[in-house]
Amino acid sequence: MTAILELRNIRGGYGTIDVLHGVNLAVEPGQVHALLGPNGAGKTTTLGVCSGQIVPSGGQLVVSGREVQGATSDALARAGVCLVPEGRGIFPNLTVAENLRMFTHAGASFSDVQDKAFGQFPRLKERRKQVAGTMSGGEQQMLAMARAIATEPALLLLDELSMGLAPLIVEELYERVAEMAAQGVSILVVEQFAQAVLGVADIASIMLHGRVTRTGPPTEIAEELAEAYLGTTADLTPV
Amino acid sequence: MTATEMDTSTTPSPRLQEFQSEVDKLKVTGGRANPERAWLIVSGIGMVAGVAITLVTWLATHGTTSNLEIADYNSLGTFGLTLAIVSTGVFVVMSLRRYFRYWLVRLIFEQREQTDRLLQR
Repeated sequence: MTAILELRNIRGGYGTIDVLHGVNLAVEPGQVHALLGPNGAGKTTTLGVCSGQIVPSGGQLVVSGREVQGATSDALARAGVCLVPEGRGIFPNLTVAENLRMFTHAGASFSDVQDKAFGQFPRLKERRKQVAGTMSGGEQQMLAMARAIATEPALLLLDELSMGLAPLIVEELYERVAEMAAQGVSILVVEQFAQAVLGVADIASIMLHGRVTRTGPPTEIAEELAEAYLGTTADLTPV
Repeated sequence: MTATEMDTSTTPSPRLQEFQSEVDKLKVTGGRANPERAWLIVSGIGMVAGVAITLVTWLATHGTTSNLEIADYNSLGTFGLTLAIVSTGVFVVMSLRRYFRYWLVRLIFEQREQTDRLLQR
């Protein structure tokens, strides 16, 4: 089956500064692919390229078998690519209900969006009149995840879902991720802290200095992570 | 449970088929990384070239008494002047776009920091 997302030798970055130096990565339909790496490895930039926010300076970005460099991020979002960015990506000055109304851009009705969001995260229902920016980090992340659930994406890109959250909240969020994957959503999840994601991932990659240095089953990758993070990666086989 | 334990039949799901058709409909321009930088360089060259053409043609009109040649130099000089003015406009617009993007990003980050500080209190 054709990979739903494929990065072939992708180069790119911000202005004149290149962050990605030839990234190769593939996400198969219905697969959870964990992209792990230390701070500054280029993980968030990779997601920026996948979501159309950063135009690569070289290589090929292939979505569902088609090269899509130059497609705008809003067009990709409408097609079914959903990015939950680091720092939650909600509207902090709007209430929970107003945020949910913003999630109707893909054509779903407001009541559908509310049903799905409150069904998955009942806590959001209690706080629907509260300004989103005043909620706890976990609740804000739930709201961001609610967007992903309500818009029914085909490809979900998650950036540092666990950042700054309590382990119990992280566990709850990753349960939702596993449920989405079980429904056939393909997921590329970026994490600095591997333990949070390896339990739900089908395949994992390690990214260092703008390159994917290793791809393999999560159990194998977990064993090699400490080595990779500490900089003793000489024996890792590049992909 | 990992996602591969779900149904992995080779027939794409309806959602995947819908996604495929949406992707096929996407307008793909090929894209360019950092187009503003390219426009800044092009408009910068345009400004210099425009001024140079105007100066050269102005000087050239002094070296001839032929009305036909003077008319040619006038046309070329007008083209140079137009090129310089248009390039200056593009240069200013692209510079402002870069500046305002930076300004907007800074505003967003400051707002986030302020929200975080408020929550900490």
